[in-house]
Amino acid sequence: MKTQEITINDQTFILHPTGCAYWKEKSILLIADVHLGKITHFRKNGSAVPESAILQNFNRLDEVLHYFQPKTLCFLGDLFHSYINNEWILFSEWIRKTTSKIILIAGNHDIISPLRYSALKIQVSNEWQIDSFLFTHHPEERQLFFNISGHIHPGIRLQGAGKQSLSVSCFFKRKYQMILPAFGTFTGKHILIPQKEDEVFGITTAEVIKITFR
Amino acid sequence: MNKKELHTIAENWFSNQSWKPFPFQKQAWIAFLQGKNGLLNAPTGSGKTYALWIPIVLEYIKRNPKYSTKHKKGLKAVWITPLRALSVEIKQATERFVDEIGLPFTVGIRTGDTSQKERAAQKRSMPDLLITTPESLQLLLASKGYDKTFKEVNAIVIDEWHELLGSKRGVQMELALSRLKTISLSLRIWGISATIGNLEQARDVLLGPDSKALQNSVLIKANIRKKITVKSIIPKKMETFPWRGHLGLHLLEEVIPIIKKSKTTLLFTNTRAQCEIWFQKLLEKHPELAGEIAMHHGSINKETRLWVEQAIRNESLKAVVCTSSLDLGVDFAPVETIIQIGGPKGVARFLQRAGRSGHQPGKESVIHFLPTHAIELTEASALQKAVQNKKVEDRIPYLNSFDVLVQYLTTLAVSNGFYPDEIFPEVKSTFCFQSITQEQFRWILNFLTLGSQSLQSYDEYKKVSIETDGKFKVHSRAVAMRHRLQIGTIVSDAVLTIKYLKGGFLGSIEEWFISKLKPGDVFTFAGRNLELFKIKNMQVLVKKSKQKTSKIPSWMGGRMSFSSEMSSLLREELYTVTQTYSKVSKELKALTHIFNRQKKESIVPGPNQFLIETFKTRDGFHAIFYPFEGRFVHEALGSLMAYRISLLLPITFSIAFNDYGFELLSDQQIDMQQVLDNNLFTTQDLKSDLQKSLNATEMARRKFRDVAVIAGLVFTGYPNKVIKSKHLQSSSQLLFDVFKEYEPNNLLYQQAFIETFEHQLEEGRLQLAMDRISSQTIVWKACKKPTPFSFPIITDRLREKLSSEKLADRIKRMTAQLEKA
Repeated sequence: MKTQEITINDQTFILHPTGCAYWKEKSILLIADVHLGKITHFRKNGSAVPESAILQNFNRLDEVLHYFQPKTLCFLGDLFHSYINNEWILFSEWIRKTTSKIILIAGNHDIISPLRYSALKIQVSNEWQIDSFLFTHHPEERQLFFNISGHIHPGIRLQGAGKQSLSVSCFFKRKYQMILPAFGTFTGKHILIPQKEDEVFGITTAEVIKITFR
Repeated sequence: MNKKELHTIAENWFSNQSWKPFPFQKQAWIAFLQGKNGLLNAPTGSGKTYALWIPIVLEYIKRNPKYSTKHKKGLKAVWITPLRALSVEIKQATERFVDEIGLPFTVGIRTGDTSQKERAAQKRSMPDLLITTPESLQLLLASKGYDKTFKEVNAIVIDEWHELLGSKRGVQMELALSRLKTISLSLRIWGISATIGNLEQARDVLLGPDSKALQNSVLIKANIRKKITVKSIIPKKMETFPWRGHLGLHLLEEVIPIIKKSKTTLLFTNTRAQCEIWFQKLLEKHPELAGEIAMHHGSINKETRLWVEQAIRNESLKAVVCTSSLDLGVDFAPVETIIQIGGPKGVARFLQRAGRSGHQPGKESVIHFLPTHAIELTEASALQKAVQNKKVEDRIPYLNSFDVLVQYLTTLAVSNGFYPDEIFPEVKSTFCFQSITQEQFRWILNFLTLGSQSLQSYDEYKKVSIETDGKFKVHSRAVAMRHRLQIGTIVSDAVLTIKYLKGGFLGSIEEWFISKLKPGDVFTFAGRNLELFKIKNMQVLVKKSKQKTSKIPSWMGGRMSFSSEMSSLLREELYTVTQTYSKVSKELKALTHIFNRQKKESIVPGPNQFLIETFKTRDGFHAIFYPFEGRFVHEALGSLMAYRISLLLPITFSIAFNDYGFELLSDQQIDMQQVLDNNLFTTQDLKSDLQKSLNATEMARRKFRDVAVIAGLVFTGYPNKVIKSKHLQSSSQLLFDVFKEYEPNNLLYQQAFIETFEHQLEEGRLQLAMDRISSQTIVWKACKKPTPFSFPIITDRLREKLSSEKLADRIKRMTAQLEKA
């Protein structure tokens, strides 16, 4: 497992191949766009997405919690894909085993009542300002803050010699903001085109790789 | 009424039109009235409609002698046509006969173009004859009480069966027929097919192998001989003629005299994009043609298409630029000349297009072949031979298309519901599913009811339920509605309708093209320059634009392959170059300077030689192989070679194919001697290596798109309909990845792999090609620069990928393009 350590506003962030980012000084783990319940939502509507893929999201969550042991786990929106379904039961069971404090920044997909989240002792809010950082679901630009968000499911298209090309999910960092890749297993990606001052980190199953531009 | 009296009705009507029935028409009448099923092999414009419609009517008269006064209600016959455009023509022809003999029969059309209101009216009271498409027939099977609708039907005619045969719509038809055989009490099944290589098999597929219907059937051949003349358009200045390209605009001026000389000319292009461009360029260069030329392709709206078709009949047009949309049906007597732009890729298609001209008896059909690049001239001379020898290719039917079966069973579950024990024998009686096992069928049933093969505690899968008596039924209205909308989408890409902002329907366009445009972008469609305003609810809203330059949509479907017959003709043609000069055709003579250039850089291979060229360019290291076996075989062979080489070292390939050969391009040099020493062309482990190469490329992933849509795994919505499918958006690509990781033994996932190379492996085409190569001497030429033969391949942008390197290693060598300032 190869992570990448980057510094933003003198603070240390560790980027993980699953797509989460860990703020070392504060012990906060940031995870965007898990889209729990999506597979069940499809299955409920007659599309037979393999149900064995459901557990994978929880396995990955366990993996990164074990790796970073964060005090706080902050979901940057789109935690649950749609209306409530049986994956909520699995989610509740998972939450009960979890010792970290959990915060959800609500995203456009998060339509489940906040009461249900508070019953699980999850704090729900629209944004979170902490020191010089602003955590949101949608990417934002706000003066004096560095914004970390999700929503976009960023990806990047790469080209190489021999007419080779491929695209990978990535962390997309601009001067005052960083967009996290989608954490969920059954999520797509949206290709972004970088500008000179941007920094992009592609992810594979085992590595976070800084992308070179041309 | 006896047989003689019945025949008299028909013959009197014929002589009233001052026509004389052809022998094949009479044969069909007799066979039909004897209660037989059959396949009629007759070309367009030969009177094939009356060969079958007349006996259908006579049969009714036989049973209802007081036919002119007493009308028996209900559907009596179904006429299936693969193209909506043909339904009007058939309606007119069939109505003409019944009207004139005083039979109060109604003829109705039911296709995707039919309004909701009319459909509802039809449901209350069916016409006597229904003209419809395979998709609309499936939709009828998806409505409650369909068994009553079809109970009294005693004839179903499948027109242009050859067009359906090699497609999944053909499978849809096979399944529908298997049901109708049970529910229609005295059904006769008839197909009409143009000449293809496997007519006998076409009959087996239509009627079901070893079926009673097949035993009681005939194959009638019209045997109308027609003289076809092929003329190649050879550029006057060959030296400036391009080595590659696909538009053929260099020769635009050459078609002008041909158009001016003949009454009406059809210009066939291979893609809709090419069609748009040619139409525009013709008008640009020859404004005097305005009003005299038109365009016809499948994306243009129905009214315009019908107008063009009518204008051809009225002789009010000098020329029509068209695509395969005018391949079928519709009889255009005034058409005198055909121009084929670019290789038609198949002999049958070429003959069919040639046959669109010179419809009057005794007249010859003239077809001009316009090459789009130099090497294509070899195709022209190969085609001439093919026409002489009548070497027509087979249409290969699909086997075990589980996606279509899933769709069909859902259809039955939506309407009346079904009992597996009753349906299984019907399904197994079709050609497509003749080898289906009980286990596979059980798998499909589990898939429909559980969405998997075992019941999990938290699962909420909902589609088909099993009632207490064992009936499989869809109870959810949402599932039923989505399924009905999905039935029509058996043919590939999602389509959006194009409309003016102010209203007015222009046609439909594939989603992937529009998705590349931003509002404000200008593109050409239906000969007009349009500005994209916005996309909303599956509708593309546009404004007229005065801007001259624009993007032109290139539609998919332009990638076809040479048949094995065409490939072997092409090889023989090419070999003449290396042999006696006197045998060389004038097309090949025109290519002399190119062959000389090829010989200078490399060689022109002879019959005993297999050519491999390697060279380096700015793009990387190229290795070109020339089997001359047609694109499909090259796709398989290219992946196979790339895979086998990738076992020797970690390497990444970009692979390109055309009908002549394939290219493996890499950023590393391949040690070709090592490739040859390792005997990588061996047929040993062919199947398993091919399978593994598929896992390494993206080909199956693309095939999976169709499978996922047809089987209802992804919901694409439907043109013109606003569907609330919130949170149900997903791409088949994403789904493919999930299956790959979590359910690789899913039959539908596996089907994508089997289908990818099915047509190459059918009848061992790939094996035969490799056997042939192994009998040849391999000639490896290390060249200094690209050769004329390699040019069309290395410049192809549609490429396959295969890699044995670690993803991370590849990423580290690659770069991302910055946004342009």
